[in-house]
Amino acid sequence: MSDVPSSSTQVVDYRRRQRLARIAQRLIIFGGSILLAVYVIAPVTWLVSSSVQTEAEIVSVPPHWIPEEPTLRNFKAIFSATEEETVTYETRSGQDPAAGGFIPSTASSLLPAMANSLTVATLVVILNLLVAVPAAYSLAKIRTWGRNATVYFILITRVIPDIALVVPFFLVIRKLGMLDTIGSLVLTYLAVTVPFSVFILLQYFEGLPDELDKAARVDGCSRFQALIRVFLPLSLPSLVAVVLFTFLTSWNEFLLALMFTQTEASQTLPILLAAFTSDFTISFSFINAAGVLAIIPPVIVAIIFERYIVSGLTAGAVKG
Amino acid sequence: MRRLFGYEERSAAIFLAPVLAVLMGVAVFPILYSFYLSFFRIKLTRPNRTPFVGLDNYLDLFTNDLFWVSVARTVTFSVVSVAAILAISLLVSLLLNQNFRGRRVLSTILLVPWAIPYVANALMWKWIYDSGYGALNGILYQLDFIDKYMVWLGDQDKTIFLIANAFVWKEVPLATILLLVSLKAIPSDLYQAARVDGAGVWQRFIHVTLPAMKPGFMLVLIYETMMAIRHFDLFFILTEGGPGNASHVLSWHIYVETFRNLSFGSGAAMSYVLALVTFALSYTFIRSLGRKV
Amino acid sequence: MAGIRFESVGKKYSNGFHAVKDLNLDIRDKEFLVLLGPSGCGKSTTLNMIAGLEEVSDGRLLFDDQMVNYMPPHRRDVAMVFQSYALYPHKTVFDNIAFGLQMRKVPREETARRVQDAADKLEISHLLDRRPSQLSGGQRQRVALGRAMVRNPAVFLMDEPLSNLDAALRISMRAEIKDLHHAMQTTFVYVTHDQAEALTLADRIVVMKDGVVQQIGTPDDIYERPQNTFVASFLGNPPINYIDGAVEVSDGETVSFVRGDLKLKFAGETARKLASSNGREIRLGIRAEDVDETRSSGEDSLIRGKVNSVLPVGSDQFLGFDFCGEELFFRVGKDLDHALGENVALSVDLSRLHVFDKASGASLIW
Repeated sequence: MSDVPSSSTQVVDYRRRQRLARIAQRLIIFGGSILLAVYVIAPVTWLVSSSVQTEAEIVSVPPHWIPEEPTLRNFKAIFSATEEETVTYETRSGQDPAAGGFIPSTASSLLPAMANSLTVATLVVILNLLVAVPAAYSLAKIRTWGRNATVYFILITRVIPDIALVVPFFLVIRKLGMLDTIGSLVLTYLAVTVPFSVFILLQYFEGLPDELDKAARVDGCSRFQALIRVFLPLSLPSLVAVVLFTFLTSWNEFLLALMFTQTEASQTLPILLAAFTSDFTISFSFINAAGVLAIIPPVIVAIIFERYIVSGLTAGAVKG
Repeated sequence: MRRLFGYEERSAAIFLAPVLAVLMGVAVFPILYSFYLSFFRIKLTRPNRTPFVGLDNYLDLFTNDLFWVSVARTVTFSVVSVAAILAISLLVSLLLNQNFRGRRVLSTILLVPWAIPYVANALMWKWIYDSGYGALNGILYQLDFIDKYMVWLGDQDKTIFLIANAFVWKEVPLATILLLVSLKAIPSDLYQAARVDGAGVWQRFIHVTLPAMKPGFMLVLIYETMMAIRHFDLFFILTEGGPGNASHVLSWHIYVETFRNLSFGSGAAMSYVLALVTFALSYTFIRSLGRKV
Repeated sequence: MAGIRFESVGKKYSNGFHAVKDLNLDIRDKEFLVLLGPSGCGKSTTLNMIAGLEEVSDGRLLFDDQMVNYMPPHRRDVAMVFQSYALYPHKTVFDNIAFGLQMRKVPREETARRVQDAADKLEISHLLDRRPSQLSGGQRQRVALGRAMVRNPAVFLMDEPLSNLDAALRISMRAEIKDLHHAMQTTFVYVTHDQAEALTLADRIVVMKDGVVQQIGTPDDIYERPQNTFVASFLGNPPINYIDGAVEVSDGETVSFVRGDLKLKFAGETARKLASSNGREIRLGIRAEDVDETRSSGEDSLIRGKVNSVLPVGSDQFLGFDFCGEELFFRVGKDLDHALGENVALSVDLSRLHVFDKASGASLIW
């Protein structure tokens, strides 16, 4: 427009103004992106960097941001802890004079702990699916009395803080003789995960047209068959979301595991990690390596399934 | 003519039975049981003597100074964290609502803090805050902000804010995702209409964007408040309530009372208070959103 | 199956909404019955009750004298075509059509043969491997029909099956559905809000409003002999015109409608039925097409007014007509040439007048 000759002496140069605005916008976006990336990535990078440093390097002041002699020694120690002779506090400097780090005897529990975490998470996932799928279908497509009351009931259980459940859980689990068993974790994790699973699925099933359900039933499906043959095959995205959430929640849970587990029989990864952090004799780089190990599986899962997670998070959270 | 249990009701009952059984067993029963327990003095050190004490556990609670300290710490922690989460996630969601190259990568990266376990998060920040070799000291020293390494978590005035920072870092992704939903729901012709009406960038933000984000804000506000009030893991690993009682929050108080002092009765009473507070909050949450379920 | 019978059937939802009230209806074997009415009138609810998708709250629903109030849909021998077609997105066209047979344990070869048959009839054999998302609206419609057809059901239910199609396709599909009914020789119950569909397809039409049946009858009954103003208004394009006025009986035999200067003489049966109603307040109904440019008929069939608008619709034209401040619409031949504001007189076909009670809207002559 500004190219058009105008009789007015004060021609606003819109094109120039627009160009400036666009440059400003780009700068802000660029700057913001960098800032955000650094904010999110820097702490994790620092942890990873510290996990591949030798004990000698990790105690340098100021710190080496990039390790000068990266080593996988800590990870090796975790994966071979059962075979190698245990390094103790007394023998640590003799073992590795350069590094001088201490690998705790509990290092050998790391792999079993990961296995425990995996078992618990898998069981919780399976039970969640068995319990939540029919419930969500029923709440979404079967209109009966009591339906709304049930939704509210599940909504309420969703907001009970886990710390409020700890005392009664502990007493009941103890009475059942289930302390220090994987079963106690599976059972109690259901309380934390099931309501969320139901709401993710409920949101999804409600999004599928009612007429599809009607068509299936007129075509000869019982309620159960309509769920299995029509709705389940269509609900894959929400099933993936449920699997991811329950898996991550179980994998990451700490408080309940802290109450119920005592030994290698049931200790999960977070418990072992927490124990490391309070032991001042353990090498920093070793703790960091263990931390990295705990971070890797959930982060990989999150990155691969980003889409499902975002849609599931919104569905589940919006619902309650 | 109408039957109470027709085919539909029977199907619904069968489909809902497992979930109701599970939730009755692992949520409703424990909550009621802890209510019951809260009227007894239960010390695991004296398992055979559990006298009924009525409201004593609750009364003790309110006369216990440490309890009030923990309430104050929880309030500080929650207010600071939630305010920071809201502010940061607002900026981040506005950024990620733009169209630019690398946006997808950025939003994927953003999921990292959300995905990692809280314990690993705590371990990471403990190492960052480390007084001897931590990154915080390192970077501030290199930038000449400090001339000697500080004992960050040992500082009564700073410790709760440092813990809040670790909490905020992990919670921002979820808050951002929730805010993005309401941002994406704004129809673009609303912006065009505002433009035609002569609204500039700032005015569009104030008159179109912010009002549309209100439900998202409410959701984040209440959800994150609930998370902050009940948070435990960071306090356990970073400070154990210390130094002194600088980070002695309610959840930590419950833990200490129950599992270190082994008084399950008063632990139950406190749990109950916390549960009620959370209920009240979530009630406002459902109310304020006016959402039909 | 001999037929479907509703005995005082009511449907009340838990929120208190009374969707269907005291419905008494006999659907005869092999009949094409259309449920017609505006949205929310209870027609779809009625259909769903036949399918078993919604439970009857009051009264009895009988298939062949057997009460089926509590029989779930998968035990009833019904097939249904939905407005949105409700095809299974994850199944191929073949599997969509075959699904109902598979659920009823029809042998594999038999299923394949019947699916192929139906596909041939509907001319969709070349689409059998596709998925619904790859089909056009018309093709999806045919698949939905095919899915219901192969079942060879005792009752064929259709819930506004054509309303998602574009206008041209809708008309050709009407013909196909009518053919289908002839070919299948089963009971069809068809829900629509489109009067044209109802008039073309139905053996009988049930007009509903607010959950209450207004009239049941053949298309001819419904159109020519509407029992109340609602039915009269619902059918006809442009809609029927009403003029309020009174009955005047003079000389003991001439029965007329009077409104100011307007005087229309009733003929035959109508005149006889109204002979004893002198002075009664009535609402006169004149269908849009029941007028003619005045030729030679007597003064007592003329209605005078001013032309308000002229809307040509191709074959003929709609004339907006100001009569004593009321806007009437008539359908007249396109060769008539009237300027806006011109005063015209139209002659009314006196044998086709409709007379309703002014207060209740009920017909006084049918």
